[in-house]
Amino acid sequence: MSRLRLGRWLVAIPMSLLALATIYPLLFTANVAMKTRRDYILDRFSVTDALRWENIDTAWNSVGMGRYFVNSLLVVTSSVVLLLLLGSMAGFALSQLRFRGSSALFLGCLAGLFIPFQVIMVPLSRIMADTALIDTYPGLVLVYVAQFLPFTVFLMTSYYRGIPPEIVDAARIDGNTVYGVYRRIMLPLGTPALLSVGILNTLFCWNDVLMALVMMPSADHRTLMIGVTSLRGQYSDNIPTFASGVLIAAIPVLLVYLFLQRQIADGVAAGSTKG
Amino acid sequence: MPIGNTQPSVRPAQAGRTGGVAVTSSARDGGHLRRAGGGLRAERLAPYVLVAPAVLIIVLLRLYPLLLGVNFSFTGDGEQNGTAVGFDNYRELFADPLFRTALSNVGLLVLLLPVAVAIPGLLATFIYLRVPGHRFYRSVYFFPAVLSPVIVGAIFNLLLAFDGPLNAVLGAVGVGPVDWLGDSDIAKFMVVGVHIWATFGMALVVFLAGFATLDAALLDAARVDGASLPQVIRHVIVPSLSRTIQFVFVTTMIGMLTSMFGLLFVMTSGGPEGSTYLPEYYIWIQQGQMNRPALASAASTILFVIMLVVGLLQIKLLERSGKED
Repeated sequence: MSRLRLGRWLVAIPMSLLALATIYPLLFTANVAMKTRRDYILDRFSVTDALRWENIDTAWNSVGMGRYFVNSLLVVTSSVVLLLLLGSMAGFALSQLRFRGSSALFLGCLAGLFIPFQVIMVPLSRIMADTALIDTYPGLVLVYVAQFLPFTVFLMTSYYRGIPPEIVDAARIDGNTVYGVYRRIMLPLGTPALLSVGILNTLFCWNDVLMALVMMPSADHRTLMIGVTSLRGQYSDNIPTFASGVLIAAIPVLLVYLFLQRQIADGVAAGSTKG
Repeated sequence: MPIGNTQPSVRPAQAGRTGGVAVTSSARDGGHLRRAGGGLRAERLAPYVLVAPAVLIIVLLRLYPLLLGVNFSFTGDGEQNGTAVGFDNYRELFADPLFRTALSNVGLLVLLLPVAVAIPGLLATFIYLRVPGHRFYRSVYFFPAVLSPVIVGAIFNLLLAFDGPLNAVLGAVGVGPVDWLGDSDIAKFMVVGVHIWATFGMALVVFLAGFATLDAALLDAARVDGASLPQVIRHVIVPSLSRTIQFVFVTTMIGMLTSMFGLLFVMTSGGPEGSTYLPEYYIWIQQGQMNRPALASAASTILFVIMLVVGLLQIKLLERSGKED
């Protein structure tokens, strides 16, 4: 027993080093964002002597990160609202209602899980071009919804399966229509699942690069992540501005993580244990 | 019991029929009845109405494009657009050194897969055994997993730049500068390393969810018997968590095949000399930059086959472990 206890403390050393390696890159970036160009060239590691917001300001206004931020916010919010609405509707029907073809439809939704975007990139962008949806916000929203809907339907269905059917029966006897049951019973009961699936979808959409890159070719439609990729070419000689752009893109995610860490982890765990 | 066209939906129908007499007497009742009669059909259709939007989107924008893409891979590009060319695209793919590099890099990822699974597995074991500060480690390790690959890539671009901080540290201790992202033998290992850095927290959380189902009595018994930590891992933890371990193997592999684009795009752009190409990057280049959509479709189809093999392997493994249980 005592040997195990000593082992525990020995293990703490590499684990702490790893923890440092996990946090340090972001701290370094945040520090650089606060420095002047001269400071950075003279000493890369010195802690900034002041909290300078000029670089952030440049990145937000001149580089256009502010505009990209708004674009991302718009696309991600619409996508997540749609995903939760469509996912919970389908999840309710597939778990609590008995109808012809339900298991085939469930399998059809599941099949979508095994088709990554890379595999259907070419035909999908062609479909979007043919329907004049390419390079539009609704187009990108639709692509995000299609990408993450199988996962959302799957998790909502397995969550709703845990709700006793008696609840639905009782609501029906009270005179509710199926839609009434969905709106008055299932949506409120689904809140915990909707919350964690919603957060995961928000992260997925917010962090996406490839879909936005393929579906949004024009510069003023860029999402924030595409904005980050464009920093590299333009600001590779102005590291503090570069770091500021990265920081702007990272901060919303960091805030979400700080406050909703448990829900994110629960969502990932639910996805794995129900699989 | 799931509801549907069972009792509740029969009742409004009866109400409709008995109330039929009332239609003549009162227009107001009639309006009510029509609603009830229409309501019956609406109720029957309700499940389909609820499922339809999701199913339509998945079928039209996931399943249909898959077929379209496979079909597309057997047609030509440019002047031959739309005409059938048989396996020409596939022949061209396997003759293309860039695509061959992409495939051999997939092989490298498969070789590194056990490392990418073992690291979070071992860390999860320590956290489960409550090393001092386990709660802190858990939240810190998970944190890079929520960052976009683009942000991670940009940060490491900064750190690994030739005149960047890592080389500055190495220079201070007398080690010459290393061209981390510019040397074709080193760059691919850096990209994979950064990918593992960014995603091991995700696998860690999955492992911890698996540990939550572990029977603690088994561990206690092993400890009372004086088993060492490696023995506990080998004889208690690995067998009990076989399903979780398989799940992590497959999701990590799929993650390596489909979510490294952002890193490649930002860190190396596939270079130096194409040494960091992966199929997803190749597809993007051929479609977006080279205007070869049919060739890209062929590469997509091969990527899909690789993923299918990974998925089927998973099912096989699950069946086998099912028999063992």
